[in-house]
Amino acid sequence: MKAKKIIKRTLGLAAAAYAGLFCVFYFDLDGKLLYYVVEPFMKNHFDNMERRDPHTVPYDMLDSEYMDK
Amino acid sequence: MKKPDLSKLKEVDFKKAARDFVYGKPHGERRLGDLYIPKTGLYKHREWRGIKDTMYYFNNIWLYNYGMIVRDLMVYGGGPKGAVQFLKGTWRYRWMGQTYLTVMHWFDRCLEGMRGETLKASAWHFRGITSACLYQITGFFNRDLNIGGDPALRAKTIGTDETVWGGIIYPYMDQGGYYLPTQMIPYFVTCHCNNHTVLNYIDAVQAYGLPGDPCPMCQAEAGIYIEDDVPDSYVAMVTTNEACDSSVGTSVIQDWMMNKPLFAMPQVMQFDDDSVLENCAKEIEMAWRFIEEQTGLEFHWEELKKHIELQNKQTQFEREKWDVAANTHSYPINGVAQALYRIFYSQYGERPFWHDVDAKVKKIMEKCVNEDINTFPMTRHRVIAWSCAPLYYSAWCTWAYNCWGLNTIINMDSLMFDLDIRTDTYENCLMDIAKYHEWAPMRRMAVGGLQHIFELWENMEKFNCDMVMMYDQLQCKGMQGVVGLFEDEFRARNIHAIWMPHALPDKRTVPRSQIRQIINDYMFTVMGEEPLDPSLLDFDDIDSW
Amino acid sequence: MRDLKHLIYFEDLLQEANNELVRKGKEDGNLCLGYTCYFMPEVLLDLPGCFAVRLRAPRCTSPDMASYYMSGRTCHYGRSLLERALEGGFNFIDAQLATETCTVTCRFQEHLEYMDGVINNATFKTEFTDVPFKKNENSIDHYRKQLRIHVLDFLSREFGVDVSDDAIRKAIEINNEVNDIITEIGNFRKLDNPTITGYEFSVITLVSMVCPKYLIVDKLRETLEELKTREPDDKPNYKIKVMLAGSENDDPDFIKLIEGCGALVVADRYCYGSLEARNHIDIADGEDPLTAVARHYLMTSQCARFMEQKEMRHRKKVLADYAKEYKADGIIVESNKFCEYWSFERMIDTIVLPRDFGYPVCSIEKEYINTASGQLRTRFQAFVESVELKKIQEGK
Repeated sequence: MKAKKIIKRTLGLAAAAYAGLFCVFYFDLDGKLLYYVVEPFMKNHFDNMERRDPHTVPYDMLDSEYMDK
Repeated sequence: MKKPDLSKLKEVDFKKAARDFVYGKPHGERRLGDLYIPKTGLYKHREWRGIKDTMYYFNNIWLYNYGMIVRDLMVYGGGPKGAVQFLKGTWRYRWMGQTYLTVMHWFDRCLEGMRGETLKASAWHFRGITSACLYQITGFFNRDLNIGGDPALRAKTIGTDETVWGGIIYPYMDQGGYYLPTQMIPYFVTCHCNNHTVLNYIDAVQAYGLPGDPCPMCQAEAGIYIEDDVPDSYVAMVTTNEACDSSVGTSVIQDWMMNKPLFAMPQVMQFDDDSVLENCAKEIEMAWRFIEEQTGLEFHWEELKKHIELQNKQTQFEREKWDVAANTHSYPINGVAQALYRIFYSQYGERPFWHDVDAKVKKIMEKCVNEDINTFPMTRHRVIAWSCAPLYYSAWCTWAYNCWGLNTIINMDSLMFDLDIRTDTYENCLMDIAKYHEWAPMRRMAVGGLQHIFELWENMEKFNCDMVMMYDQLQCKGMQGVVGLFEDEFRARNIHAIWMPHALPDKRTVPRSQIRQIINDYMFTVMGEEPLDPSLLDFDDIDSW
Repeated sequence: MRDLKHLIYFEDLLQEANNELVRKGKEDGNLCLGYTCYFMPEVLLDLPGCFAVRLRAPRCTSPDMASYYMSGRTCHYGRSLLERALEGGFNFIDAQLATETCTVTCRFQEHLEYMDGVINNATFKTEFTDVPFKKNENSIDHYRKQLRIHVLDFLSREFGVDVSDDAIRKAIEINNEVNDIITEIGNFRKLDNPTITGYEFSVITLVSMVCPKYLIVDKLRETLEELKTREPDDKPNYKIKVMLAGSENDDPDFIKLIEGCGALVVADRYCYGSLEARNHIDIADGEDPLTAVARHYLMTSQCARFMEQKEMRHRKKVLADYAKEYKADGIIVESNKFCEYWSFERMIDTIVLPRDFGYPVCSIEKEYINTASGQLRTRFQAFVESVELKKIQEGK
């Protein structure tokens, strides 16, 4: 009996999850989350990230065909 | 409260509504343009394709690919540690954190309007590309010293220019030799998936003094290094020229910023001349010696042979696909899936995931041929696309079919690397590898004499195409240098050719809407046709991915 | 300074590709062989019975017909050459010895090959040579083979030219005579107070490239003799000395423009410049002359096309070394608009040369013909002032 109840509940949850996922899919909720929330957040993060100054990258003149490892 | 106007219910054709719900609306009634949220490219809701195809898309494409993305990350990343590296990389690199999370929308754009077998087969191509990308992304992050990657893995990893064919690493793969085309993931694929990211790289390199006119692909390739957005995942670099001056120039900037041992393995330009093969072969051998010197790996002939033979199988299957595309109406791959899959797998080299995809696509294709399924029933014109395509609008083919019935059968870059490499002896193998290098994307047609770029005519005939989409990359000096000759030939041969201007990865120069307008104008005024789906004629997607 | 006796004559020769001496050369029964790039060894086009003409399109400011064929988004130099060809200005060429070295000049030469009747000359043919991107032994060997097949065998087969080792040695001798004269003239630029301007030198160098050598060498020799006794002005009319580096430049008026802004151009490392093109060609002991030619043209070139890591980096040092040798105070790096090789090279030169070698750089994008450019004039004047100020501050 208990097992039947657990199975019933599990199936119910799975069905609800499946329906929920279908709603996410059909109404493009994943796209909207990414577009309106995730991407602007990440863009702001990358725009403000400290980056190496390219002017400081050395440019050694080499004696061999290519630099040693 | 206002009473609902029930009289309108009398106008509704319930039988048709039920049929549309079950089977999906016929092509001319779909009004796909009405689904877009203005500017964003997002959907008010995803397309209802009928019960069967919508559930297929939901289960076997959307859910499946999201699931497989997680699976690939765990498998290629080597478990939970790989997942941690992935998160670190997503936080560290713009091309990952700002771009690739939107991958399923890339599927959506390219598969709009598709049904049945074409939906299935085309989606498998995107599955293959996604898997390959994840293989490389985890490859980058697991080895990246910037985020605590494994130095032992890095020590056996060679970075390459993205136009170096992946077969360069074949002889070393059984010893853990790994190859990373350094711009493929950080630059090339981002443009297709989310075209916002690359603009940062182009702007970065111009901020340091590069003029705005060189090829924007090469600008972006330099820009990812200027922005310090390339993982430190490889011990040394093998570079090459592509088909153009800019591809050589960008190596100068990359070398400076990367500051690692670099071996240049340039390809000859006049490649029809067989006397050049020996030079190419020697350079390839020198590249192998360089790899061995830098990684401590040994050359294994049997390993090279094994991968070449598997690659040859892929090439042979590709020819089977061309045969179906050229001579039947049952080719189940749409234009964008054909173009991107072909260039990716042929450039990247032989790997197991390609064979998995090919097996699935083969099954679908055989079914279509055997059952004589007309995979693109609304085809009004069979199009061959020539020259270099707009990366930020690779899905134009899908739009063009849905709106105008323009079915892009084949494109120029698909026709590269069309060579079976011999494995009977090392010498024959090496000579064929040399030739294979020379037949790389763009270079196979764009250099070495006008006879190559004018192979358009014989390919039009071979693939039974009646229309040309002439990509007009505004900053490609090689192709700009022949526009007049093409105009003369189109006129002389009475060919319908639409010139599509674009700036490769940079959507700002020629927005997607302008590309659509050019095609619309041609179809209305020259062809005198009406659109299949008028809602797709004009819509605003200026800020879309 | 006293005017050079033959300068006006040289200037006149540069007004037309088919100049008086080219016409004379053809009247004498010689083949006129056209080329555009240093990688087409000039010396092999000066074999007995032939003379080399490096192509220019003087005074071509609006290549409208060529822009139809090659769009307005390609290097003005390549388009101007095509324009001149379409106008009939290159009908005197008997063969174009072409290279696929830079995209746009390659496309120009492909047009010559593909379009019937562009060169209205019954004997006209085009032949392409592949050029390596590296300077290693494999590349020298490849280049030598290419020159054998696509230059020597081609000339022998199509025109019956003597391409024997002795003939090549003779051509080397003729070229070296001119090379040595030009180099010696160029050395006057190294003086503390040079006795030749950059403009004059560019005119002299160009005529040596666009006229049959046997018809111009006497006047070049006389010019050298003149210069040996030429006195500089008491008060130099320049404020700084500059080196001019970069892409294609065959317009002496561009150098006049620079010198009109207070700079003296003392070194010329660009396509059509002398620092590579006028080096003495040596044949090593036991070496055949063709191998010597292949080695020479590869090893002396500082073209931005070379891709080996060492070469990519080293050519910045070469510029700095030249600047030091010629006592330049600064370096002007120019590229033609739409020249991709030098766009990237110019970007890195602008940062590395001042930072690592201490040379201020003026980075310029130009058109093929530049006389009327107020913008360039402003840039050069500002550069001259800034370098002059730097010199004053350093007590020089």
